[in-house]
Amino acid sequence: MIALFVTFFSAVILLFAGLNKKESAFSLFAVVSLFVSAALSFACANQMVSFGMLESWVPANMMSFGKEQHLFAALLAFITGFVILMFRENENLGTDQLGLMMFSLCGAYMMVSYEHLVMLFLGIEVLSIPLFVLAGANKQNLASNEASLKYFLMGAFSTGIFLLGTAFIYGGTGSLELEMMGIKPSFMHAMKGMPIPVLINAGIILMSVGLLFKVAAAPFHFWAPDVYEGSPNRTTVFMATIVKVAAFVAFYRLLNTFGGIKDSWASWLTVLGGMTILWGNLAALGQKSVKRTLAFSSIAHAGYLVMFLLIADGTNTWILWFYGFSYAIASVLVFSIANQAYQQTGDFSFDAFNGIAKKCPIVAVVLVIGVLSMAGIPISAGFNAKFYLFSFAWQHTPWLVGIGLLGSAISVGYYFKFFKHAFLKESNNEMQFVDRGLLISLALIIVALGAMPWAILNLVF
Amino acid sequence: MEVIIIPIIASLVVIAMGKRIPMWLSALFSLLPILLVGKYFQQMGVEGGWKTIFDQPWISDNIRFTVGFDGLTGILLILTNALVPVIILGGIRNDENRVKITALTLFMQGALNGVFMAQDGLMFYIFWELALIPIYFITLTMSGVDAFKITLRFFLYTFIGSLAMLASLIYLFLHTANYSFAFESLRAVELSHTESLFVGGGILLAFLVKIPVLPFHSWQADTYTNTPAAGTMLLSGIMLKMGLYGLLRWFLPLAPESIEFYQPWVIGLSVAGVLYGALIAIRQKDMKRLVAFSSLSHVALIAAGIFTLTDAGLEGSVLQMFVHGINAVGLFLVIEIIERSTGTRILGELGGLAKNNRLFMVFFMLIALGTVAVPFTNGFPGELLLLKSVYTYNHNLALMAGLTIIFCAVYIFRMVQFSMFGEGTGTVAALKWNEILAFGILIVGVIGIGFMPQLIIDIVHNSIVQIGQWVSEARGVMS
Repeated sequence: MIALFVTFFSAVILLFAGLNKKESAFSLFAVVSLFVSAALSFACANQMVSFGMLESWVPANMMSFGKEQHLFAALLAFITGFVILMFRENENLGTDQLGLMMFSLCGAYMMVSYEHLVMLFLGIEVLSIPLFVLAGANKQNLASNEASLKYFLMGAFSTGIFLLGTAFIYGGTGSLELEMMGIKPSFMHAMKGMPIPVLINAGIILMSVGLLFKVAAAPFHFWAPDVYEGSPNRTTVFMATIVKVAAFVAFYRLLNTFGGIKDSWASWLTVLGGMTILWGNLAALGQKSVKRTLAFSSIAHAGYLVMFLLIADGTNTWILWFYGFSYAIASVLVFSIANQAYQQTGDFSFDAFNGIAKKCPIVAVVLVIGVLSMAGIPISAGFNAKFYLFSFAWQHTPWLVGIGLLGSAISVGYYFKFFKHAFLKESNNEMQFVDRGLLISLALIIVALGAMPWAILNLVF
Repeated sequence: MEVIIIPIIASLVVIAMGKRIPMWLSALFSLLPILLVGKYFQQMGVEGGWKTIFDQPWISDNIRFTVGFDGLTGILLILTNALVPVIILGGIRNDENRVKITALTLFMQGALNGVFMAQDGLMFYIFWELALIPIYFITLTMSGVDAFKITLRFFLYTFIGSLAMLASLIYLFLHTANYSFAFESLRAVELSHTESLFVGGGILLAFLVKIPVLPFHSWQADTYTNTPAAGTMLLSGIMLKMGLYGLLRWFLPLAPESIEFYQPWVIGLSVAGVLYGALIAIRQKDMKRLVAFSSLSHVALIAAGIFTLTDAGLEGSVLQMFVHGINAVGLFLVIEIIERSTGTRILGELGGLAKNNRLFMVFFMLIALGTVAVPFTNGFPGELLLLKSVYTYNHNLALMAGLTIIFCAVYIFRMVQFSMFGEGTGTVAALKWNEILAFGILIVGVIGIGFMPQLIIDIVHNSIVQIGQWVSEARGVMS
């Protein structure tokens, strides 16, 4: 909860104080406030903070921050801090961009901590609306405009479908509170012979479709590559990490509520998960642009996380946290290097990476660590995340784990293209990489999470 | 524990020092672990099973960083930590890639030590993959147009095999009583016949690709030929042994129920590989490619020996693993030195190299004799044991596999003849101290083991007997 306040008020300050000022003057303030938010939510992780209000004269719990939510909030704020730090010289625009990004982050907090579907809906909107603006921030660029419009249309559609689902759920269960709405269907299911009402089933499906749009899982992923490619780099990273993690936390909490009637939604979700993994990985193979490749890779990662939805039972949320953290760190790392290579060569194909190993060996090593982590090869955070996920998922969905392993093998085909260009190709361009300290520290976090995951998880949870 | 950490730290030191690092210092770093291995032998001995040296929770409370030691581990540690100094002394060219390859080789040394010492299934897998990363980047320094394709094929082959092994290990893990990856817990899992076929097949696939046995070998020749010498030596000398070691240590004890099914297939394919490799080697002009196929042929025989499950086969396989490591590294070192001096390794373009460098010729000849398995060189006792074991399994197969002795003599002596004797213009530069030292270590291995093979068999005897016991118990239960 405290993170929400700190971030929100910092965002307000940024929006007004920074009016007509350059972004660089305020980025430090934004970063500090984000790291403070992260540290505060980490520090008070053991406290329980709730926020309720009266709903037709009955007190309703709107949102609450327990340990899980605090830790996810800390994760989101931490990653956003790194995003703003490492992409600060991206576009020399007004400070309002920082403010908008932090408002969007407030939406992510709400999605993490909601106890009431209205709160979830508000969270999705607060998350998305600033992003529509941010995606189109490159006003002169046609692709950016297209991205903004596409994201807006898709966002509008998905929210509409999600709302319809919410209405169905209210009709079926008589409540919008997480605690209440799961009881009735689970109870009915437990009694033999009582079918689950169509309204509830339809509601779950419609709400899931809305959220699957947000996490860009197949077959609702078509917007993602274009939007990711067109948006300014910083927004792309934000969408690929923060939005995805927040949406998955929301998704998991929603489905976990209906854990009692899991067999009614697990089957089609399994199929979609397998489809997402294969589609993301296979489509990434043929891409020429780094941004599109990473977009498809993030779709594939969404597929792996769908696997988590199927095994989530409220006690193993640390897997999602660990996976989200390692995925987000590696994404920020790789995107940041790609961004810098792009700024110097003006080229967003893999050719921008040519000859990095010769000119900047340290950056090449960092790139290797980031990419290996995304591909899930030991000793990196990504491997441990995938291992935890696969070993837990095996008993529930062995076939999906098989597809996941296959997907990992396929992913090597495109992730290693980075190495081909960085190590094998030559280039005459001068290359200078800034933020080396930050890149190295991110790489060290990845290796640390890879080398001693249990020690770190014990420290955190 | 220290033998894993020290080389990895050393590789970081090498990277940090960059071009300033002298070769003797990096060689000294790589020699440190073998002293520790000696200490292990002294402290732990080779009797009384696979003893744990170090144990610590790692990936979770039950997935631990467990490091063990026994005779089998000891032999492979000696092999690894004696060959890596040889590679650093003789196998790395003094060019722009020197620092990178040195650092990666040292890193690899640590990872390989981890593979051979791991007592926890997941730790084994992690180090197995970790050893793949440095070798991938060493192969990536190859010069050639198709570098990316060749390296990617190599990586994908081994990676897919590894994933199959991971799936099998996770399956076993989920069936252990206490959700543990420890070797003993995994071994205690009782599998039905069908289950064991899948689990054993997954584990087997990883090892067969790495060895490689016949249908999975197509990554090998191109990778060997084009990789810088250090990479080829690491691959043929030590990395192949990971697969064979895996068969002995992990496949046989973990899925003994499936051996019955896989035995004829693996032995058949191995014997086919023995002949296939040897026949193709005869036709090669490129010396590196020739040795690559000869390696395919020799290693397949070791795999066949393991799968006969006889004492002679199992002990002979360990002996031959050790010997093949020495000989393969020796041959690739010879080729590397020839190529450095003359700029070519194509047989037709070479000749008469023996005239001006007698010392080099002696070294080459000794290693060649070892490879051909002449009595009183290191190749002989192991090959004899392996052929004997295949003979007990099936006479006809042994007859076919036995042809390899003749073929091997043909292609190795053909290589010696065309490069060292006859007429030619090229000369081999006088050997430097580091090359002489590297050859010295190898020659000690060639002659020493030739006269005293029993030394190695004594060290591994206890471990082998233990493995044989587990296998026969499981098969006894089956029948």
